[in-house]
Formats: sequence, C-alpha cells, structure tokens
Amino acid sequence: MADKTMPISVPSEKPLKVIKWKVKQGAFVSHGQILFLYSDSSGNNSELKKFKAVRAGTISSIKVKEGDIAEPGGCVADLEECRHPTVMKEMCAECGADLRSDEGVKHDVAIVPMVHSVPELKVSEELAQKLGREDAERLLKDRKLVLLVDLDQTLVHTTNDNIPPNLKDVLHFFLRGPGNTGRWCHTRLRPRTKVFLESASKNYELHVCTFGARQYAHAIAELLDPEKKYFSHRILSRDECFDARTKSANLKALFPCGDNMVCIIDDREDVWRHASNLIHVRPYSFFQSTGDINAPPALVDEKSKLISGKNGAQVAPNQEMPILDPEPEKTDAEVHAKDVITNTEKPSEGNNGKIISKGGLENKKDVTSEKTEGDKSNEEIAPEGQEPQWVETADGQIEVEDPDDYLIYLEDILNRIHKHFYDLYENMGRKQIPDLKAVIPEVKSKVLAGVSLVFSGLVPTHQRLETSRAYLVARSLGAEVTQDFTENTTHLVAVRSGTAKVNASRRMGDNKVNKLFVVTPEWLWTCAERWERVDERLYPLQRGSQSSSRRPPAHCSSPPPAPPAPAPAPRKRTPSGRFMDTINPLLSFSSDDIADMDREVEDIFNESDESSSDEASKPQEDDLDDEENPPEDRLLTLETEESSQERLQDPDGSSDSEGDDVLRPRKRPRKSPPPSDDDEPPDDDDSSWNLMGAALEREFLAQD
Amino acid sequence: MSKCQSKAGQSRKAVVKISLEHEILLHPRYFGPQLLDTVKQKLYTEVEGTCTGKYGFVIAVTTIDSIGAGLIQPGQGFVVYPVKYKAIVFRPFKGEVLDAIVTQVNKVGMFAQIGPLSCFISHHSIPADMEFCPNVNPPCYKSKQEDNVIQEEDVIRLKIVGTRVDATGIFAIGTLMDDYLGLVTQ
Repeated sequence: MADKTMPISVPSEKPLKVIKWKVKQGAFVSHGQILFLYSDSSGNNSELKKFKAVRAGTISSIKVKEGDIAEPGGCVADLEECRHPTVMKEMCAECGADLRSDEGVKHDVAIVPMVHSVPELKVSEELAQKLGREDAERLLKDRKLVLLVDLDQTLVHTTNDNIPPNLKDVLHFFLRGPGNTGRWCHTRLRPRTKVFLESASKNYELHVCTFGARQYAHAIAELLDPEKKYFSHRILSRDECFDARTKSANLKALFPCGDNMVCIIDDREDVWRHASNLIHVRPYSFFQSTGDINAPPALVDEKSKLISGKNGAQVAPNQEMPILDPEPEKTDAEVHAKDVITNTEKPSEGNNGKIISKGGLENKKDVTSEKTEGDKSNEEIAPEGQEPQWVETADGQIEVEDPDDYLIYLEDILNRIHKHFYDLYENMGRKQIPDLKAVIPEVKSKVLAGVSLVFSGLVPTHQRLETSRAYLVARSLGAEVTQDFTENTTHLVAVRSGTAKVNASRRMGDNKVNKLFVVTPEWLWTCAERWERVDERLYPLQRGSQSSSRRPPAHCSSPPPAPPAPAPAPRKRTPSGRFMDTINPLLSFSSDDIADMDREVEDIFNESDESSSDEASKPQEDDLDDEENPPEDRLLTLETEESSQERLQDPDGSSDSEGDDVLRPRKRPRKSPPPSDDDEPPDDDDSSWNLMGAALEREFLAQD
Repeated sequence: MSKCQSKAGQSRKAVVKISLEHEILLHPRYFGPQLLDTVKQKLYTEVEGTCTGKYGFVIAVTTIDSIGAGLIQPGQGFVVYPVKYKAIVFRPFKGEVLDAIVTQVNKVGMFAQIGPLSCFISHHSIPADMEFCPNVNPPCYKSKQEDNVIQEEDVIRLKIVGTRVDATGIFAIGTLMDDYLGLVTQ
C-alpha cells in the first residue's frame, strides 16, 4: 500500500503564529495528541491555543518553525498516516485505530501471524520480512539454527487410557475441556529428553510445533521446560495451525524470510510435505496400545497401524530372549506354570512391555515373574529391542526399562548438521546463508559415502531397482547401489541366505581384496535411522534365517507410509495365541508382493536345482500357506540343520536362536522334547488361531 | 491500579462504582427462609468477574440496593428477581495511563495484564532505544545502556491507545511512548 501522506494545514482563517511544537519530526502521534501551540499572528491575543492531530500517524516533516507565521491554507506539517503494520484483534497496535470500522481496505496489510501462540496478532508482510531478517542475523551471530520440535511420539508419548498410577517416570496431568469435562493425560518423556533439549538448545533455537491442542502443547512444554529456557513462548499448536493436516503452511508465517535455517524433527513426514529439511525420527512409543493421540484426523488409522508394526521393524537380529542357560528346563517349566496362572500375561522371557500393556495387567505381575524378569534383563546382552520392559520395584512403583536410545543419535545428527551448516557459511565468506534444505540431505549423503551396495531379495523382480524404496533410502545415505556385483561392491544387503547373490558372494568373498560385508536389511534401516554407518558385524546375515524387513520402517523411508514390515517371523507367541500380534510379514505383504516373491524363488530354484524334499513333506493345511514367504535356503548345511534342530526344540522361544550366534556362543544344552507335541503352547485358548499359528510355525521350521 | 484522567480531558476513570441491575432466575427449590440470601449469593457468583462491553469488568459487588418482587415464570415455576446493586467496575478508556504486569515478551511486542484486562504493546510503541533480546531467559526489551530492562513479570506503566470491546471481553492496545511511561521501579 502506498504511503498516505496528508498535509496538516492551518486551522484558522487568519494567519497564526506557531509558538511551540510539541512533537518532533519523525515522531508518532496518535489521534487527539497535541501537535503544537499557537496564537494569533497579531500577537494581541496572548492566549495559547492547542492544535491536536485529527488522525494518527507519523509527522514526516515540519514545515513551519517555532515563532514563524503560517498563512491560512498553508501547510504546517506533513502527517504520514499509520499503515497499521501490526494488528491485534483487528485493532492497529500502533495507533489504536479500530480496523473493523474501516471499510476493509486496510485489512490486508497485516496478514502474517508471526507469534506462535497468538494467531490474532498479525503483522504486515514488510514488517514480517524485517523481523525475519533480524532473526536470521541474530541466529547467525549466535551461530544457531532453528529447530522445530514435534512433541507426540518424537519427544513424548501420551495416552488417555487408564494406566496404573504408579508407573515410574510417567507424568500425569489433567486438561480441562469445555464445561466440566476434561481428560487425564499420562505422558512419558522419551529417555534422555532433557539431556537432548539441553544439548540441542546450544546450537538451535527450539520451537515446538505440534498438532496437539494449545492447552496440551503448553502443558507438555511446561513439563519439558519448566523454566521456559528452551522453548520460551515459541509454541505452535493445532489451534494456530492454518491447515489441520500439514504444519508446513505455518512455516512461511513464522519464517517470512524463508526456511533456510530451519531444521525439523518429527515422526511424521507427511505433515511437512516431505520437506528435505526434515529429520524423520523414529516414533517413540511407550504406551503400546496408544498411537499418537494428536495425529491429524484422517491419518489416525494409518498411524496406529504404523505403531503396532513398529517394534517388529526395529528389532535387530541380535535381539535375544534372555534364557537362563544353566537350567533351561526349569525356566520352561516356570514359564508354562506362569502361563497357566496368569493366562493373558506374557511369560517373562519376552520383551513384554507391549503385550502386557495391551492386557493392562502390568501391576498384576506376581513376584516370581518379576524376579525372573529382573534377573534376565540383567543378563541380556545389548538389548536392542525397542519395547519397554515393565518391572515392578519393591516400593510399589512400576519401573519401566525403556531401551529407546534414539535421542543420542538424533543429538549427534543435529550437531553434524549444525557444524556442516556453519562450515559452509564460513566457506562462503559469510555473505550467503546456506540452505538447510540442501545442507541436510548433504549431511545425510555422507553417511554411507563410498559404500557400494548390492541388494538381494530386497527389491521385487518386477520393480526397477531405481524405483524401490530400499534404493532411495540407500541413495539418500550416499551409497552406490548396483544391480550386480562390481569391483567396488562393499556390501551385500540380503533378505535371506541362499539367494543366488548370497551364494555368489560366498564364492567371491575369498578372492576379493576388500572384505565384502553380507548384512541384513536391518543394517541399512539402522544406518538410515541413525545417520551413521553402523557396525556391520551387528547385522550379519544368518544362514537359514530370514529377515522379514524387506521394506524400510516408515521413519527411514520416503512415503507413502506403508505399514513397515514387522517382526522377524517366528517370534515368541503371545499367550493369547494371537500370532497376528507377533508375526506379521505375511499380513503386510500385498498379494502382488507375494506373487513376486514366489516368482523370485522359482528363479532361484531353477538356478540352484535343489531338492525340495522338505517342502514336499510339509503339510499344506492352511490357506495362509499360500501367503507364506517362499522357502529359500535349500543349501542345507550341517550348521543350518543344527539350528533348525534347535528351533524345533524350543518352539516357545524360537526367535532367540535367530540372531544371537554372533554375540553369544551357542551353548544351550537343551532337552529335546518331541517337536510336534510341544508345538502347541499349553496356554492357548483360541483354537483357530492356535491351529494357524502351529501351521505357520511348522512352516518356518521346515524351511530350514 | 492507578486512576488517571485522560489527556483528552474527559474525566472518565478506569475504576468506578456504579449502579447496575441484574435479573436472578431462581429455581423453586430455594423457596424458603433463606430465599433472599440465595438471591444475593447468586448475584455475586453471576456478576463478579464478568465483563460487559458497556460497563467493563465487574470487579466486586459493594452493596445490594434492592431486590424487587419476584415474578414467577409461567409454565416453569422459576422466579425472576430484578436486583439493583452497586459494583466496582473497571472499564479502560483510550488515553488512560495504567500500571500493568508484563506477561509475554516477543519480537513483535509485549503483552501485559491490567487486572482482568489484556493489553498488547507493539514494538513500535516501545521506545526505540529498547531492543528485543530473545537470547536471555526470559526474553526482554533492553535499552542499549542496559539500564532499562523490561521482561516478564515486570510492572510497567502504559497508556491505552485503543480498546477492542466485545460482548464477552475487552482487549487493549497500549503504548510506552510518552513521558513517564515504562518500567515502574519499586
């Protein structure tokens, strides 16, 4: 809008003498303010008269000096009208004018709500730019960046469900709703959150950006930051979001000079429209039955699916069941006994936060199970599982072991980004501001730089390698991906052993100069999650085992967020026998996928020309069998036979033999109960599930 | 809360005691010897703390002058009592100078609270020598010599330049750009 300058002309018919100016040039005057004192020029009448401003504005120039005579009709000063650059509740915050009565003309000047928590306060584009520039300058001066922090499932997990009141480290608060309604919220902070905030606030200006309601967002911010030293008032909640589905719409308003220096951490990529300055964090889930209580409406279902599948996708192969080696029979007996006693409760071997919380039985644990569990968790080597463990301590508090350590990696990622940004800034001679939208992918692409991958069993045959998600994930980490082995190949990422490529790699392995790592896809997903090259030795491809995570977990891939491939298949069954809760790859594959897999397997069969006696002997008693992953490893070595033997012996804890070989010597003397009898867990009450589960289990066992 | 005459010369005051009227709707179950007490009690709860666009915030009822004859509502049995009372009301006017407590400081300006009244002071209405310092906790406006600092919880004296009066509340715009305005040192 053009400046409106209007002259202040002499108010009377006669010339007058300006005695004293009450305002200075450039000063802001409000309506009714005294501008100058004057008297009649004749000087006879010594009475001073006051001249008041008729409108608000800025005195741009004063044309008549004190003591001078102004002629009638002449101009005394120029008044620049207020352009209402800051508007609060449709009132100009500078001159106090009510803009509702003005005929809508000036309404469009102030349109940018720049303050997170006060959407009514709007400033003009121009002023927003100025403030944005000042912000950017200040950030550069302090060597900081902006970090938008999501709350739900990124830093905290909140549930409205009834939970035991004595859970340790769970905070409870009541949100008052309209009228007398309200709800209790139970919030668990992600482990290390406070440390993370402390460290992140050194390099970043933290903003909360959540889909929670304003009241909720402020309550959580209060929990996270009672002194308001991290977030201050920079809290953007659902109430201030322009769009109920995306948060990206607000970026322009909060950062009018562009989001060059904005970094985002969120467990949801879609709400930011897959911005490249987003670090997609692994969703934090503590109350296993609850998803994100503030997920955008349309996506709630998808979200909850995502959560239930999350654990599986994240379970590293070296996750193991803590079993007391010296006396396995006793443990088994104990387990069974316990199963009988507490029917729906998960036996102590499992990493059982998930199941127990589902049953809502946390506090019912009997003493023995607590004790055993305590012992066992001590014994666990490198607990990689993401499921919290619930242990009741003597003082009645349920202490929960929460192995989530993601914030350590996130902290490191953020520090690297910050360093890289300011290195670039220095290199560019401090003249240009680098764009985090480019910097962040660049940092990410250094993770696996120099690494050359070959996939095996990861990409369906009908799909082009370049279009697969695994390929995109690997490329975003800076790795080369080739269709077949080349001179430079460093890693083979294989879903299962026994594929042509795995066999080829074994043959090649000996005469190659550089070591070729054969790893499971989890290795790649973990690299993508942590943005670092994870030690390959933690993710070796086991002979005879099958990794089910063909697809990247949702948080380290690009959308559309399909349900991530969940747990390694033959996992500990829940006592309820609902194997859907534990095994999942079958359910997450589309029929196309399965067809592809079948085809792929056929190819392999044709190639390797192996006998399939096992397959033939296996009873096809269930229609689920059609959806089964194709049996793959026909190269039955002694070793695999051994492992399959072991698995048969231990149907209850069969998944433990999957990944522990590396970390733990295989020395589990175990009696071998007749496999067929033991296949049936004694506590199963749901017979149809039971049947299917048994069939499935047999199928898996038969494959080896 | 300071009472002050506005510059415009009107002798309007922010806090005044005025006569008001209110109608109390009473359920028949309260009929009995305590009836008038109930009416008084109900008056206090219904009017104190409310805000009307015309009179402003009703701070406190001082005296109840009269409780009129109750009128039974046909078909309901409820009784309406017209009550005349005097109350202290707070109605901010343009040009008034008031003391306020700063509640939030941000780059666009600051928010302050004058009793029940919220007020916003734009950055432009804060003396130009005071700069916004977001890096300190809590954020503040600070003059170059650092001798004048306004932050949350501080008491400031401001002049009201505009009010937005809604049916349910009043919001004010203030300024610190005048003599003797700004931080109140106690």
